[in-house]
Amino acid sequence: MKLSYPKEWFEQRIEKDGNVEIGAGVPTTPNHVDSADEPKVRRIDTRIAFGQFVTLWRRNKGWNADQLAIEAGIDPEEVLQIEHDPHCEPEPDAVFRLAKVFGLPPRALMELAGLVVQRSPQLREEAIRFAARSEPIAALSDVERQAFEAFVTALSEVKD
Amino acid sequence: MQARRSGILFGSRPEDAHWDWRQKSQAIGGMLGYQSFAVTCQDELQGLMMLNDMASAKLGNQFGKPLIYVEFVATAPWNRTSNQEPPKYRGVGHVFVLTAIEASREAGFRGRVGLHSLPDAEPFYERKCGFTRLGPDYSHQNLTYFEMTETQAEAFRRNH
Repeated sequence: MKLSYPKEWFEQRIEKDGNVEIGAGVPTTPNHVDSADEPKVRRIDTRIAFGQFVTLWRRNKGWNADQLAIEAGIDPEEVLQIEHDPHCEPEPDAVFRLAKVFGLPPRALMELAGLVVQRSPQLREEAIRFAARSEPIAALSDVERQAFEAFVTALSEVKD
Repeated sequence: MQARRSGILFGSRPEDAHWDWRQKSQAIGGMLGYQSFAVTCQDELQGLMMLNDMASAKLGNQFGKPLIYVEFVATAPWNRTSNQEPPKYRGVGHVFVLTAIEASREAGFRGRVGLHSLPDAEPFYERKCGFTRLGPDYSHQNLTYFEMTETQAEAFRRNH
């Protein structure tokens, strides 16, 4: 297809219109996946697990939030928000970077963070079980470590 | 946060979400019936649009006839006044509306075009381009649906 319109056509229209917004189409990115078939509560419960997982992962490594932020190339505030505020929707980019640091499939963490539609029902169950069994206190207890490792296995099995 | 990291003005507005091209291409990539168009200037992407030719008109006098549906259209964040004043470039919207009309003509749809406008862009499609407003569409996140008839398309092409 070729648009054979004179340059003046565009110049006149643009001059007359000024600065206008032109966005159209239904947003499809993870920030805008609100829909009746994916209630918010589901995203928040897995997001609690996501936050606890991030906390336990770095503690297991002996890292503080700052170190994890540096490794992932994200803002330390983002790490803290992910860990402590399940109502805050993390940036897809931040979750992707964390998945790389953790060596886990990004898809699994995106599901956990409520950024994509959940395709793995077992993952949600595993997430809730994990969240219920882990508490972010000082050192990892044996129970926590077992819960953590079982959850890592479940996450690793999610296909990208 | 992404904005702080990258220095580019990204937020959570629908207009910003439309600039997530990886997500878009994943959602639609490889499907027949979709056409993508890009506006570049000085080796930089300034806007993108995706069309499909599988929709039919809803407006009374052309109801049921095939049209070109604008799946989405967006300008780069630096070309939007909500992000940057003054914008780096203007006129991307006109190029795209003209392109959609030409695609419609090429497909034998006589310039018929339909789209769901983001709220801030409604004045552009209604007043500047001459689309007919059909009202909010509950099946598309309540975005307002607009349609252009053959006559309106012809007026847009000639009006300068």
